[in-house]
Amino acid sequence: MGNEQTKYPGLPPLPPPFVKEFPPIAVVVEEKCIACDRCPPLCFFDAIIMENRPEHKYKRTAVVVPENCTGCGLCFEACPVDAFLWTPDKTAGSGPLRAAQETDKDMDV
Amino acid sequence: MSLTTRFLGLTLQSPVFVASGPASHDVNQIRLAEEQKAGAVVLKTACSDKYEHMRSWPRPRYKLLDWDKQIAGRSKSFSLYSYEQGYSGTLEDYWEFIRVCKKHATIPIIGSIFADDARDWQEMAKQVEQCGADAVELDISSPHRPGSVAFETTFVAAIKIVVKSVKIPVLVKLGPGHEVVQQCLVAEEFGASAVSLCNRMRGFDVDIESQRPILHGYYAGIGGPWAKHYTLRHVAEAAQEIKIPISGTGGVMSGEDVIKYVLLGASTVQILSVIMVNGWDSISRINAEIEEYLTRKGLNSLEQIRGKALEAMTSPEDIIRWSGEPKAGARNDWKKRGME
Ligand SMILES: Cc1cc2nc3c(=O)[nH]c(=O)nc-3n(C[C@H](O)[C@H](O)[C@H](O)COP(=O)(O)O)c2cc1C
Ligand code: SF4
Ligand code: SF4
Repeated sequence: MGNEQTKYPGLPPLPPPFVKEFPPIAVVVEEKCIACDRCPPLCFFDAIIMENRPEHKYKRTAVVVPENCTGCGLCFEACPVDAFLWTPDKTAGSGPLRAAQETDKDMDV
Repeated sequence: MSLTTRFLGLTLQSPVFVASGPASHDVNQIRLAEEQKAGAVVLKTACSDKYEHMRSWPRPRYKLLDWDKQIAGRSKSFSLYSYEQGYSGTLEDYWEFIRVCKKHATIPIIGSIFADDARDWQEMAKQVEQCGADAVELDISSPHRPGSVAFETTFVAAIKIVVKSVKIPVLVKLGPGHEVVQQCLVAEEFGASAVSLCNRMRGFDVDIESQRPILHGYYAGIGGPWAKHYTLRHVAEAAQEIKIPISGTGGVMSGEDVIKYVLLGASTVQILSVIMVNGWDSISRINAEIEEYLTRKGLNSLEQIRGKALEAMTSPEDIIRWSGEPKAGARNDWKKRGME
């Protein structure tokens, strides 16, 4: 499309393909991160911290703490360089749940 | 001058509440709300066991639409699109949650519940009361509620039975729409102590690249700073018809917005999205903005101006009109152009 809006689109409109097998959590691509400090305050679940990385171009990077990440998607919208990706949380115990398996099938308004 | 507000027999340090949602889902958040001097907290809605699946949330569950990364939460036109569901623990967890909140909090705690069976509503409301909550809010208007439950049947029965079964105040949270005043009247008639206006709307969005609905392929909750304009309207409509107090909710980003709700008759205001995108200190900022307004206007309290803007409301018949005919002439020249 090439317009300004799609340059840094934020959260992808669809869930990652592996969502049926593993719950997604966010991860920062550290090489991309410009240490702008915008994502920790937008994460409502205190799952992002800034860590020192002496070898990094900006000396610091954002890091997602997997145990706290609820996979909500807000942080993608904070990042000016789209450094966030989804990654499968393979440590999560339970399998995926589907709504209305045997209860209320009529979900239309 | 003070922000002290009387609401349902409670004395609150501010009219600004934390609304039910992800900012009232754990005990630590109650402490944050208190530090920021919120008036009260409405806890995240717990669903009855029948809706157990609604205790699990999809990932991702939020998308900020039209979000300008440059100005972020200072924008007045983004939307928060969300498919969040109910409180994520069991009902036992929820009762314990209320107890612990009450043990540590000095501000009022309002429980929030959703069910469809009248007996479940009754049981849950009684539990909320027994666990010490200061009031209970019936969330009958979630944008995610199943389509099989209707206001006229399920929810009217719920309001009736809950009001009879508990002594604490009962708030009824209604959704936006043309039937809201009617529903307010029904809630009042059956003894609700207050109404909360309004829950978010059910909305939709599509990704044109993949040609699929965004996120999980189903309607989602939608709201944002723009949403205040329809909730302000609903608050104004309701305030003219009912006597029970109104708790306004929707699109509040600043103290100004709270003042607008109060000018149209609301007693308290519930906020959430602004906390999510701009942080917890939004509460103290909003409080300070209200105080600043009161000082500037030489007022002692918001009570002095509650409903004041309603007095200046007019009816369509009384709106002063002038004919636009002479000026519309240039555009109405089809005769000259032989278009008869
Ligand atoms: C992510 C999210 C979750 C919510 N969950 C609930 C809920 O569980 N129960 C409820 O009554 N309202 C819920 N709401 C509605 C809010 O309590 C509030 O009334 C609404 O968002 C309007 O206020 P706001 O524009 O300040 O966010 C939720 C809203 C959002 C954005
Ligand atoms: S997905 Fe949500 S919880 Fe996880 S890091 Fe991003 S903002 Fe935080
Ligand atoms: S918003 Fe992006 S660039 Fe900024 S600190 Fe977070 S990950 Fe790094």
